[in-house]
Amino acid sequence: MTILTGKADVSTVQRHHKTGVLRRIWDHRFDYAYVLPSIAVMLIVIAYPIYYTIELSFFNTPPGLQLRDKIFVGINNYTSILTSPVFWTVTKNTLIWTVGSTFISFVLGFACALALHRDFAGRAILRAILIIPWVISAVAASYIWKWIYHSDFGVIGAVLVGLGLADRPPNFIDNVDTVLPSLIVVNIWREFPFAMIMMMAGLQTVPDQLLRAAKVDGANAWQRFWHVTFPHVRNVSTVTILLLAVANFNSFIIPWIMTGGGPSNASHIWITHIYELAFGRQRWGVASAYSVLLFMILMSFGYFYVRALSSNDQKGEAE
Amino acid sequence: MTSISLGGAVLRATVSTALLVSLMSASAMGASVDLSKWSPEYVRSIAGTQDFDTAADCNKITPLDYKGRLTFWYQGVFEGDPDSLREYYKEFFATFRKTYPNIQLEEQGLTYNDLLDKFRTALLGNAAPMAVRLQILGGVEFASKGYLQPLKPEDIGYSTQDFWPGAMKAVTWDGVSYGIPTNNETMAFIWNADIFKRAGLDPDKAPATWEDVVKYSKQIHDKLNVSGYGLVARKNAGNTPYRFMPQLWAYGGSVFDETSPDPTYKEVELASPQSKAALQASYDMYVRDKSVPVSALTNQQADNQPLFLAGQLGMMVSHPSDYDVMLDLQKKATATDKEKAQTVIDNMRYGLIPTGPDGKRAVVFGGSNIHILKPEYVEGGKVDEPAAKAIACMWSSPEWSLKLAYVGSNPGNLNGFKTKWMKDRLEKIKFLDVTTSMLPYGIPFPALPQSPEIMNIIVPDMLQNALTGAMTVDQAADDAAKKVKELMEGGL
Repeated sequence: MTILTGKADVSTVQRHHKTGVLRRIWDHRFDYAYVLPSIAVMLIVIAYPIYYTIELSFFNTPPGLQLRDKIFVGINNYTSILTSPVFWTVTKNTLIWTVGSTFISFVLGFACALALHRDFAGRAILRAILIIPWVISAVAASYIWKWIYHSDFGVIGAVLVGLGLADRPPNFIDNVDTVLPSLIVVNIWREFPFAMIMMMAGLQTVPDQLLRAAKVDGANAWQRFWHVTFPHVRNVSTVTILLLAVANFNSFIIPWIMTGGGPSNASHIWITHIYELAFGRQRWGVASAYSVLLFMILMSFGYFYVRALSSNDQKGEAE
Repeated sequence: MTSISLGGAVLRATVSTALLVSLMSASAMGASVDLSKWSPEYVRSIAGTQDFDTAADCNKITPLDYKGRLTFWYQGVFEGDPDSLREYYKEFFATFRKTYPNIQLEEQGLTYNDLLDKFRTALLGNAAPMAVRLQILGGVEFASKGYLQPLKPEDIGYSTQDFWPGAMKAVTWDGVSYGIPTNNETMAFIWNADIFKRAGLDPDKAPATWEDVVKYSKQIHDKLNVSGYGLVARKNAGNTPYRFMPQLWAYGGSVFDETSPDPTYKEVELASPQSKAALQASYDMYVRDKSVPVSALTNQQADNQPLFLAGQLGMMVSHPSDYDVMLDLQKKATATDKEKAQTVIDNMRYGLIPTGPDGKRAVVFGGSNIHILKPEYVEGGKVDEPAAKAIACMWSSPEWSLKLAYVGSNPGNLNGFKTKWMKDRLEKIKFLDVTTSMLPYGIPFPALPQSPEIMNIIVPDMLQNALTGAMTVDQAADDAAKKVKELMEGGL
């Protein structure tokens, strides 16, 4: 009897709960109506392209046929990609590019943030100067760096030859071994200010009294940084690193403008390779399969990003 | 003494006059230019011999008071073009608007390297313009996919014989013509006579063979420490095939059998010993002798121009317009750079592109064509055909196909060679004789939908693989041949 009563009670609670949800939706109907246009736009510009890209990834699109005459090939595009030697070259380049750019940009940005967190004369001017690379258009920056690196009459080469430090200008971007590191340098130059700004904001949250107390307790600079500062900026660091990693994984402008992925695919990363497959070679199916794989990788970054943000929120609520 | 009656004399005079007129109509005054007589002297002899009334001619196709709307994209000027070309483009569109005041024209100029990508993307979204002027390499790709309407010179009041057979081949797919050639050009060999002299070479003599180019390039570099030949090997840039293919063909190599009069494009020849010899020549210059710009792998011709003007480059393959480009660049130079640039311009020489070991001379038959799209691929689903034909008629007229090619190219419509502007051009443009002399050596790119990928990606990749040491010359040529074969078989 008790059990029966108990069941009845549970279902009643559930019904009440359901009614409550519907009720709440009804009560907020105008709020939903306000966000409906945004949701509709997102469905059109985000959900449909994702669906279409996934669909297209199962088709072959030879150069002599229109896209509507595409041929269904099942998972062939995926197997072709994974067995293609170019895929592994491009993936290796992408990993070097992403990890190298993200790690160094973050470390450099953090170091600058720590330096600029202190009060000293000219801090504001220095901060403004350091932000310049980030606000310059990536296209303009790429062209400027192309000339700086130019293998015949680049600025660096001219200076080195002029000072007698080299016989000929060094070959930065026309060499398969040096092209990727050279592009990573440009990328770091462009995005470390972003890390710097994020970390400067994070450093504002470190309580001064804690640092002073640690100093009074005899902690040295490294100990104060590691035991007091860093724990407070850990979450903002995670978010910064994730944002940098996603941006770098998605990079296009710098490698495309400076080298077009060359020489000999040595600076081709996923995005430039996808672009070339789609627009240069019209392999829409293969390019879509690449894009689906890239989407899955970036979604995993997205998961960690959301998790990092959520842990921030929970921490904030708990406090 | 033979006596001739008055009636007989009148009859003979009538017949002879009729015969003379008919001969003239087949040559100088008629529909076409006699290509079998092609030489600088012949070009000079026909220049300024005929007047054309463009508006009246196009009125027969689309009445001048026609009311309509036209969207039009065209391969326009880019950073390597002289300023004067920009002025001719402006003048053309102003004249079109004046001639057809009731046609609402919405034109968009795109550079060579951007046009194909943008046009392909627009077609996927059925958002293409009604008419487009594409590079010679593009027409067949879009015709084979069914995007273009059949269009032949007769549709806009001209005759097929008014255009180069090679140019017509490049707009023909499956026996049907899909476009009208607007301009056709062949490049020439340019060198700096002062550099030649200082390097101990004959300043007034171009290298006769590609082997000489390799030799001269090394000599220039070793003696003067400047780059010898302006090699270009960037990927996704039209400049690369335009400079490498003449070398490949001269050595007897090819991608398929595009050098034969009736190509079938069945067998891939990129891995032939002749093709490999051509690639080896580039390798020798870049890797063995280090006598060409190191930046060749990321450079385009536009990057070679300032090098040449600065006296840092001895030889290059380019258009007659490069002379004007040098003048433009010189105007922008300051102080001693200006003088240096003037010295280079004074020492600029043009010659025929060198031959291969067997005396074969070849050059890419370049140019552009106008096409009209099918309505279903056009924004709004409608094509204003009379308006599209009006611009096709005007651009490919003897007058405008000459004027729009005034500095950098040659008229697509052969009758352009007969106009007064051609006469004027022969007097004003230095070295024009040389580049027009190269026209009969012109070979069109294979008329295949796969051609853009072969020329813009596979061929430059082959060069880069060999020049960076990523592959040996043999491996790079074999790899490229394999890629072309796979491409033709529909593979990845």
